[in-house]
Amino acid sequence: MTAPLLQLRDVEAGYGGQRVLRGISFDVPAGQVVTLIGPNGHGKTTLLRCVSGLVRLGAGEILFADEPISGARAHRIVEKGVVHIPQGDLLFTDMSVYDNLMMGAYPKAAYAAAPQRLAEVFSLLPRLQERRSQIVASLSGGERRMLAIGRGLMANGKLLLIDEPSLGLAPLVIDQIYEVIGNLKRHGMAILLVEENASRIIGIADHVHLLDDGKIVWNGTPAEMEENEDILTTYLGG
Amino acid sequence: MDTTTQIIISGLTLGAMYAISTVSLSLIWGALNVLNMAQGALLTLGGYAAYTASAALGLNAPLAILLTVAAGGLFGVAMYALVVRHMLDREGFEVNVIIATIGIGMVLEAGLQKLYGAYPIRQPLTVEGGFFLGNVYVPYNSVIIVLTSAALMLVLAAVLARTRMGRAIRAISQNRDAARLMGVPVELVYAQVFALAGGLSAASGIMLSTITTLAPTMGYDPMLKAFIICVVAGLGNVMGALYAAFLLGLFESTVQFALGVRFAFISMLVLVIAVLIWRPYGLFGRTRVTKL
Ligand SMILES: Nc1ncnc2c1ncn2[C@@H]1O[C@H](COP(=O)(O)OP(=O)(O)OP(=O)(O)O)[C@@H](O)[C@H]1O
Ligand SMILES: [Mg+2]
Repeated sequence: MTAPLLQLRDVEAGYGGQRVLRGISFDVPAGQVVTLIGPNGHGKTTLLRCVSGLVRLGAGEILFADEPISGARAHRIVEKGVVHIPQGDLLFTDMSVYDNLMMGAYPKAAYAAAPQRLAEVFSLLPRLQERRSQIVASLSGGERRMLAIGRGLMANGKLLLIDEPSLGLAPLVIDQIYEVIGNLKRHGMAILLVEENASRIIGIADHVHLLDDGKIVWNGTPAEMEENEDILTTYLGG
Repeated sequence: MDTTTQIIISGLTLGAMYAISTVSLSLIWGALNVLNMAQGALLTLGGYAAYTASAALGLNAPLAILLTVAAGGLFGVAMYALVVRHMLDREGFEVNVIIATIGIGMVLEAGLQKLYGAYPIRQPLTVEGGFFLGNVYVPYNSVIIVLTSAALMLVLAAVLARTRMGRAIRAISQNRDAARLMGVPVELVYAQVFALAGGLSAASGIMLSTITTLAPTMGYDPMLKAFIICVVAGLGNVMGALYAAFLLGLFESTVQFALGVRFAFISMLVLVIAVLIWRPYGLFGRTRVTKL
């Protein structure tokens, strides 16, 4: 039995004096989609930022492929294969689509393999190829989200951290985005997915964790979540 | 006609010198959001380093220039590693860096004055001779300055546009957190930016010293003008800084001919104020909408 790809052990973190995460433990096994849901402002993004090294842990430990990564610098964590696709995309807005994708391939190993990766990303997200030399500022919201995902894929990672991929998009575009995420899952990619829209994760998640006030207050499969009226009404507005 | 030619030639020469300083300031501002107030002293350092390499060490011109640019780059890295790095990401770091770099500039200037004295020295790398364009005398030195500066700017533009390092510099200036998430070792790139800016400034200092003379305070005036140009162009915008440098070089030489040298600086200030009222983010500037 191999250890899970990502392991969080009693993770605590915050900003200044304010504690946001109060002891979080869970795993992301290889090839699975693990989802984090929960109300606004309760620390989902902070948790992902802890994994990718943008926020220092106050206590606890994070292991990736059995090696501790908490305390490592963000660029080392990317080099190990943990890729964070941030909330709100955080694209380089004055650069072209192509330059954004090339930034995704910044780590040395990824840079060497960039031409092949680029072809793969373009075949998964053909829209990006059409917009290749366009400046990001002129893209639509859906195209930006696709670019954020494509940029993340350029790093050739082993685990994707995706923060609210449906945020601010029209239902039809959300469908397209989730189709892409489903594709990644079928290719065996491990994904830690943050999503507020609980109905979106039903078909795709292997496991769900509910984060409330910095703690995991419930976890189970999507089917169990659907049966549990309390959770749906209390936390996710039905 | 001759006056126009004269104005254009001297404007281009001024612009070429300002361009490099402006771009150096702009690179550092764009990437780190700090102002390098030691820019003038870096120019001065370049001038004296080239003088030492060619006059005291007796090196030939290309070698002396190469050594000077390397020295400028090293000084830039040292400034970052020993001082600036420790101030970033702290409360009020912008002001701290301004004060610290003013200090570095003063120390450098005082050191150069102690070593070489306060009297102007002729830069031995100055190229003699020239030719006539109509009735206007064009010094070879000016031609070399304009061509070298243009070549340096083209190379820099290509580096920023196409290389892994250049993209990372632009990425950091657009969104530092996102650059980190892409695997960019931000502190290393900061050091590279300081190396680039230091090397470029040293090169610009050599040029400057060939049209004025070497003096410990020779960097002040071009630094002030570079700040003005940066503000006009929009801070952090490297290409905009380049255009603005040549525009303001031409503007300055026009005012010098039309109204007299005394009015050049004042009219530049008036121009800045006008531009800032009209376009608060500079001619080529933009608002920054980044961060999570
Ligand atoms: N850079 C920061 N500095 C200080 N406080 C922050 C910072 N980022 C987030 N916080 C605070 O930490 C708490 C958790 O924020 P976080 O972004 O992790 O929540 P979230 O669950 O992702 O919310 P959302 O669903 O709105 O994205 C919030 O109270 C927020 O105000
Ligand atoms: Mg969030």
